[in-house]
Amino acid sequence: MPEYDISEIERLIDGKLPWTRVQEIMKAAKDSDRFQKWVQILQSRVSWNEQILLPLTTNLFIVQQGDDRVVKCRCGQNFGDYRVNWKLNALIYVRDDAEKLNEVYRGREQPDSEWTQIREYYCPGCGSQLEVEGVPRGTPPDFEFLPDLDTFYREWLKKPLPNEVEFTDKTLDVVREWA
Amino acid sequence: MSAPAIAQATPIKDLLLKEDKLFEETGHLFGLEDLARKAEDPGSYEAIWHILLNICNTAWAVGCKVSSSAIAVEGGDALWGLHLPTGEAIATSRGITAHPGLLSLFIRSLIENDYEAEPGIKAGDIFENNDPHFGGIHPVDFDTAVPIFYDGELVAWASGVSHVMDAGYILPGSIGFMNPDSFADGMPVTMERIGENDKLYPWYAMRVKSRTRVPDFVMGDARGRLAGCLTVRDKVIELIDKYGLDYFKDVAKEYVEDGRRYAVARVKNQAVPGRYRKSNFKDLAMKGKRVIMPQQDIDCMFNLPLQVDIDVDAKVNFSLKGASSWVPFGQNITPPAIISALLNAYSHIVGFDMFNWGAVAAWHLDDPPAGSWANPYPVNYFASSGVAWAPAVMWMSSLYETFGRAYYTRGYIEEVAAGAGTTMTAEFSGINQYGMYTAGLTLEQASNGAPARGMADGENSAWCIYTPNADFGNAEVTELYYPIIYLGREVEPDSGGYGTFRGGLGHTAVWMIKNTPGIEYSCGCAGMRSKVVGNHGMFGAYPAWPDRPSYASGTNVKELIDAKKPLVHRRGDPEKPNMELAIKADLMESNVIAPFVTPQQLHEYDLIMHPISGAQALGDPIERDPAEVQADLERGWTRERIASDIYGVVATSNGKSEWTVDEAATEAKRQEIRDARKARGVPFREWWEAERKRVEAKEGMATAVTDMWRSSMELSPDYGEELKAFWQLPDDFTF
Repeated sequence: MPEYDISEIERLIDGKLPWTRVQEIMKAAKDSDRFQKWVQILQSRVSWNEQILLPLTTNLFIVQQGDDRVVKCRCGQNFGDYRVNWKLNALIYVRDDAEKLNEVYRGREQPDSEWTQIREYYCPGCGSQLEVEGVPRGTPPDFEFLPDLDTFYREWLKKPLPNEVEFTDKTLDVVREWA
Repeated sequence: MSAPAIAQATPIKDLLLKEDKLFEETGHLFGLEDLARKAEDPGSYEAIWHILLNICNTAWAVGCKVSSSAIAVEGGDALWGLHLPTGEAIATSRGITAHPGLLSLFIRSLIENDYEAEPGIKAGDIFENNDPHFGGIHPVDFDTAVPIFYDGELVAWASGVSHVMDAGYILPGSIGFMNPDSFADGMPVTMERIGENDKLYPWYAMRVKSRTRVPDFVMGDARGRLAGCLTVRDKVIELIDKYGLDYFKDVAKEYVEDGRRYAVARVKNQAVPGRYRKSNFKDLAMKGKRVIMPQQDIDCMFNLPLQVDIDVDAKVNFSLKGASSWVPFGQNITPPAIISALLNAYSHIVGFDMFNWGAVAAWHLDDPPAGSWANPYPVNYFASSGVAWAPAVMWMSSLYETFGRAYYTRGYIEEVAAGAGTTMTAEFSGINQYGMYTAGLTLEQASNGAPARGMADGENSAWCIYTPNADFGNAEVTELYYPIIYLGREVEPDSGGYGTFRGGLGHTAVWMIKNTPGIEYSCGCAGMRSKVVGNHGMFGAYPAWPDRPSYASGTNVKELIDAKKPLVHRRGDPEKPNMELAIKADLMESNVIAPFVTPQQLHEYDLIMHPISGAQALGDPIERDPAEVQADLERGWTRERIASDIYGVVATSNGKSEWTVDEAATEAKRQEIRDARKARGVPFREWWEAERKRVEAKEGMATAVTDMWRSSMELSPDYGEELKAFWQLPDDFTF
């Protein structure tokens, strides 16, 4: 099984490896220590110290903050318990009429606002566009990934996390409090 | 090969039931806890695997060449396989990788339905099915199987599938989106023995002649499938002669179990356990258009939800909970076809080695909601599957994104794929340039842009969601099949969404009708979206736009040609299309909601602009490398407004296709965009409080959307309860 130097992984992530080398990596068996190096690289690129448990997107990470596992943006913005859809703590802008859609999609490129709305989720801290949804009115926001973190660390990585928590979606608990 | 087989020592059906039980009890296919042949001689094991792959790929080359249709010869839209006696695919050719599962299930179905006893299975037999009620995906894909006997024992099957030019549907062609019910689904072959002694029965050609519009092409495909199957059979018999029957029987099973282990290992090595979800929607706006039956004068919206659960053992479970109702069009699919379709996604995004039935055994699909587009027969046994792929491939796009997210978390960024765009087809029917009737599909849709990667843009026009064998064929050859001339086939700028990494770009074909008294253009739905955006973006990218084809009839193109004036070769500005600027026409449709069949025939010098989507983008567009935006500007792959307003890149042109980026101004512009987002964005809860009232009032929602929600909630009550809980809607609320 291959192992790659961390500097090569870093160049891969940054799109700086020659394509022929990327293809070799794609065709080879996967390097088993990639996750460790991946997290190490990402950790070195953020200004905060909380341990990254799992990168979620290009901007968001699940981190260990004290006794809590929370979603955090690259900029440090905290989105709360990772078992609650982080979108509930984001800023949202919805393009649901022709005028708002026109800023992105014009003429024949514009969808019908009675059939779909473009939802943009922003980080309140840095203004990054974290996700975009193209959905009809009535669609709850996608909770794209709820990882079973404890199973992953305990059974797959063989490095159990302290203070295991229940693997459950807590999004509706928050929404019920809003009603 | 024509001698009847001796009776099997163990009937295949008994073997099949025994092996099902062994899998249930041990978790290993055929109860194979050890791969003894692999352990004893791994070199031979690998070598013979590659011989089998070569046999299947030889069959693909032979079968496609024997066939005469553009779809097989030019597009390679076919596949051949080798199977165990009980049906499980051992190895397959290149081609349409959604089908090994169906071919496996077809053979299994022959056995389950006691074909061993009646009509019997013997050397030289040819069996076929295209009926979705008994395992087919859509009737235009014909599944053929030929048993392989060795010393009188059934030791394997050869199989082949191809997509024919015309399936005898109610309308010409092979993309039966307009079929109102299964009675419109064309020429049926329902689990039949269609030949003996390696020859098709005479009635088969007679049926093709009377029930399809282009019988020469359809029979060419049938002969191609058979030629490929016989190639597999004869080459496998040679292989058994050389390596021995016992060895072949042992390794064949080991390859399938090995395939299952590979599928499990790949997920465990690259993904993370947990629950993944992705919504997905597709429109089918037909109200006011030419349709077949009055009940089709409606607009439909499909709910295509995906939930993937990966458990501690890396077992992958798929759910379609929330899928909306079946539709009175040819866009319904059956659960066995979805199970097989998963293999297509698997072959693209999970497993590349030892691709066979093993992956099916590693994955599980919950029964889709009864009465939904994904499982129509419990409610409507006569639902059409004229182009069953249409909703399924769009749903499969979510698998790409979902697995992309899984791989991203583990750092395997080189395996990330953002998701597909759309699949919109073009078919022609009428009298061709040779004075003959023709009906069939161009292959434009078989070369979309590829999804954005985790660290790079997708490739342009080099990818297709329904086949790894993306190929739109040669324009010059397509011109031989249909009375059209290509005026353009160019990369469509900005057609791959907007992101840090954009999806590969699609292209637009510009056709001029030539040398025909009249021809119909069917702009078909094999997974298109025209009212809604092409899909989601991923990680903050904007989705690709909807599909909007154009056509013009009664044009002045001949006058322009005679006067040597410019024609149109590309679409141009979305608000001021080139066609409107350069051409005069009696009928100018430059922004049509697809799908549709032209209400009247097109004639000499009429024009069609048929766009093929790019794929999905990944990441916040204002994080795209300005140098990449500059390069796209210089290649004509992005436009100045998009570079500025969406990518936040300030660049100026010297008027000679060379652009210069102002880095400081770009940095400032991007900060302005961030500030503007923070100013216009509202806290989610604030939006939720207002939006829930609009949802409850059904404000600004098309009827197709409320119809969709109503059926989703009725067919999947749990899904409905969760939706109501999220918006805090009354218990008795319905859309």
